[in-house]
Amino acid sequence: MALQKQAGLAWIIDLGGAALFAWGIADGVAAAANGHPMPAAALAAMLGGGLVRAGTAWGVPVLAVRGAQASTAPLRRSLVERLLGSGAAPSSGQSAVLAIDHVATIEGYETRFVPARMAAAAAPLVAVGIIACASLIAAGILLGTLVPFIFGMILAGTAAKRASERQLAALGELSDLFVDRVRTLPILRHFGAEERIARQVGLATREVAARTVEVLRVAFLSSAVLEFFSALAVALVAVYCGFSLLGLLPFPNPETLTLREAFFALAMAPEFYLPMRRLAAAYHDKQLGEAAKTAIAAVPEVAPPAAAPEVFAGVAAKELVIAWPGRTIGPVDVSIGTAGLVALTGPTGSGKTSLLATIAGQIVPSAGSLHFLSPEEAPGALPAAFPSRLREGLGEGESGERATSSGPAPHVAPSPIPSRRREGGIAAVPDHSPIAWAAQHPLILPGTLRDNLALAAPHATDADLLAAIDRVGLGPMLARRDASLDLVLDHRGSGLSGGERRRLGLARALLADRPLLLADEPTADLDHASAASIIALLRAVAAERAVIVATHDPYLVAAADAEVTL
Amino acid sequence: MNPFPLAAPERRTLRQALACATLAGLAAILLLALSGWFLTGAAIAGASGAAAVAAFNYLIPSAAIRGLAILRTGGRYGERLLSHQAALTAMADLRGRLFGKLAAQDSRTAPDLAGGDASARLIGDIEALEDLVVRRPSRPASLAAACFAVALVALAGWKAALALAILLAALPPLLTLAARRLTTRPAADAAEALGALRTAFVDYAAARPEIIAYGLAPRVADTIAELARPLDRARAALARGDGVVAGLLAFYGTLAAALVFALSEGAAPIRALALLAAAASVEAMAAFARTALRQASVEQGLARLATLSALPGDLAPSPNTAATPLPITLGAEQLAPGARVAITGASGTGKTRLIEALAGLRMPVHPLALGDTPLARCTADALRRQSALAPQSAVLIAGSIGDNLRVARPGITETEMLAALHTACLDTTVAAMPAGLDTPIAEAGGTLSGGERKRLSLARALLARRPWLLLDEPSEGLDAATEAELVARLRGWLDATGTGLVLVSHRHAPLALADRRIDIATL
Repeated sequence: MALQKQAGLAWIIDLGGAALFAWGIADGVAAAANGHPMPAAALAAMLGGGLVRAGTAWGVPVLAVRGAQASTAPLRRSLVERLLGSGAAPSSGQSAVLAIDHVATIEGYETRFVPARMAAAAAPLVAVGIIACASLIAAGILLGTLVPFIFGMILAGTAAKRASERQLAALGELSDLFVDRVRTLPILRHFGAEERIARQVGLATREVAARTVEVLRVAFLSSAVLEFFSALAVALVAVYCGFSLLGLLPFPNPETLTLREAFFALAMAPEFYLPMRRLAAAYHDKQLGEAAKTAIAAVPEVAPPAAAPEVFAGVAAKELVIAWPGRTIGPVDVSIGTAGLVALTGPTGSGKTSLLATIAGQIVPSAGSLHFLSPEEAPGALPAAFPSRLREGLGEGESGERATSSGPAPHVAPSPIPSRRREGGIAAVPDHSPIAWAAQHPLILPGTLRDNLALAAPHATDADLLAAIDRVGLGPMLARRDASLDLVLDHRGSGLSGGERRRLGLARALLADRPLLLADEPTADLDHASAASIIALLRAVAAERAVIVATHDPYLVAAADAEVTL
Repeated sequence: MNPFPLAAPERRTLRQALACATLAGLAAILLLALSGWFLTGAAIAGASGAAAVAAFNYLIPSAAIRGLAILRTGGRYGERLLSHQAALTAMADLRGRLFGKLAAQDSRTAPDLAGGDASARLIGDIEALEDLVVRRPSRPASLAAACFAVALVALAGWKAALALAILLAALPPLLTLAARRLTTRPAADAAEALGALRTAFVDYAAARPEIIAYGLAPRVADTIAELARPLDRARAALARGDGVVAGLLAFYGTLAAALVFALSEGAAPIRALALLAAAASVEAMAAFARTALRQASVEQGLARLATLSALPGDLAPSPNTAATPLPITLGAEQLAPGARVAITGASGTGKTRLIEALAGLRMPVHPLALGDTPLARCTADALRRQSALAPQSAVLIAGSIGDNLRVARPGITETEMLAALHTACLDTTVAAMPAGLDTPIAEAGGTLSGGERKRLSLARALLARRPWLLLDEPSEGLDAATEAELVARLRGWLDATGTGLVLVSHRHAPLALADRRIDIATL
């Protein structure tokens, strides 16, 4: 059984403490009524009972949180994997809320609500059992109150549940309105509308507050029912026991109570409804936890990667459309064979990165077709689909190489990667996507430079890694820092400039040795010379494999074999 | 001390809630104490024979016990309802007031709350404050209950009463101290770990394409799990703090009961009454424990709210009179009112920044002036009365299409809205919607495509009737035919109104609207 449920059962130990304490005071009072001094055993029982109760009160949350975290930590881990491993996942901000905040909410649910629910199911009956040892009738009275209590909870509870759900929804809408208006404040101020909108926000919040108060009148009824029956239980036990001791009961009493038994029953009576009061106190955690669970359930599972072709002969997208609510990219045509350099261009925010991700199979397009070419369809080493933009005289800073040429550019180190070129295409590595990705802000995991380079090529030797470093021009960086492959990086890549991080990503993509390289803004924010060397490198790479870059660098566009504008 | 004073009606409601809470607290103590007295008295009378039973007044106590059960229920219900009512009303006011404060700021210098995180935190902070207001009556009610319990115990002699008084007086500081020692550090650790985790997560999420391409999700998940460990540790420590304080309270109750009983004097029924009153009085102090435990976690939030509510400036309705058109100076170029220019230059050279500076949204980095005043020295009000902006990414408010258009200025008629939608080439789209202008648009768009959102934002700028129209990529995402139509209609509108134009566009068609082009590199 999960620890948090065991923690719920631990509340039964608390009942033992309560019984010990109740016995202690009953014994003490009985002794006092007989004119005896307080027995030491009574005092010991009172304090001992107190210690047991303190122990459980301390132990239950400790146990429960341990149990809760034993389930939320794996949940968070699997959520992170799903959220970061799927292109269909929500935006990073929303993903963070799902993986971090919602998981914390579930931890609260597991820590507070689950033990309380467990205790509410078992502890009242145990309490009745303990009380029955002293007085069967008192136990029966408590059980008897359970019937109208359950009836009242069904009546008030159903109304209260509906009401509190409505309240939660209304408050949620209000929060959304508030967040929306705060988010749009700059534009509202620009149009001088802030005073009008502020009045609207004020009216809306007051209106929701007034409505919520009406709702609470009903919602609090169920807790009033609980409160009433827990008070009534004490009152009924007290009145019954009192009349029984006086011998004034209007019915023949099957049991003869002593003061000790009666007082014990009285002291234990509040324990009967206590578990349910604890449960009611955790009700808010239940509501939030269930909402969080629903939201998390909607996170898509990571789709298995699309089957990679055995031989990569190119990729073709036709009339591709990517649509989100409120935003559409395309239709756009892109295709490339086994070599060449295609540039995707368009203004910031026009969807270049999304298009790359779609080509990589990470985003499912809403219309159009995208497929890997078979060797028969392949246009050959030179992408025939792009007849136009091959140029003779390329400008300064650009490689003189063209897609038809197979040799590397003169000032670029040779590829460390053996070619797997074969008839009709390039043999893909089994179980690997045929696609390498060089990001604008590459992933850096805490670890050494070696670890980070080898992320996509675990079997690469240090010589391979150093060759790749040289190829992307990171050598001078290592030399300047007097650093080796053991250079330690944190997740922000501290110590590396944006350009150096980008080169690292490019080196990793080269080491991954995939037939298709997708590069996102490989030259953004680089100085002219660095950009030129990266362009030369991409040109050289484009001779041996297919390269698609998203860019708005005119030099890189000029160096490309084809340009696709979004 | 309290930066969030409540208004008089809420204070009155809270006082009523306090009265209810006190009533409930006293009833709870008296219910148990009286029950104990009644039982013991009944037992003694029952043992002493029929005469004693006849002399024992059982009707009043037994009726009182039942009455107290009802009183306790009613009191608690009243307390909860009234305190929530006060808190909800107070928070509605606070939300409105805070929004007013934020709205009164200059966009160029205001705290940036546009991110979902910041605004969500604001909501969380307000909820924490609301919780504090809800709990406010519980503490004085606990104190009243404590005094009442001491008075009851005094029936069993001054020694017991004194002992209980000392114990109860020591409890709040003890709880506060324990809670502070146990929760201050973990609460700060949790806040810090949460921030670090969130930052790392968002960083990694930005590298999603690489993670997917190389199948690295499990490794990244491990790294993030490592980062989550301090957070889990801190939260476990907070739960342990809860446990320690709850345990302390539980033992304290039995200790108080045992001590009071041992020190009590007099008849057994009175001693039983004192015993149960003492036990119940400690239970009533649980409110202090809750507040003390939450204090460390809410303090930062309250400080953030206090900072916002202390921002200078108050909201005033903006004057609704048309402004005299002023010339705009871009570097060495002076643009007379009514001029139409396009700003050109490569991506990333700050064209959007320039447009937003003219709109008063950001501080200028280029040498710009409005009339004779450098832009940085213009008031926000002076700037916004001169220009109407349709930004690069349309910012729409959640609401209907009409709500968004009415933002432009007060008193816009439906005819004007339809005319502006026509100019923006959105009239047929809106006419085709079943609810027309009342069609709601979801926060992130939903019913409108990206291009339609941009044109709605353009229509809004047209409605503002400002001397200058600022357009940033107005035709992005449009097909060539619609783009040509839009440019033609915009030209007609500019001709008819004599409005000046500052335009940024990568596309050729809209550039035709401008009489002049200014390369941003020359500024």
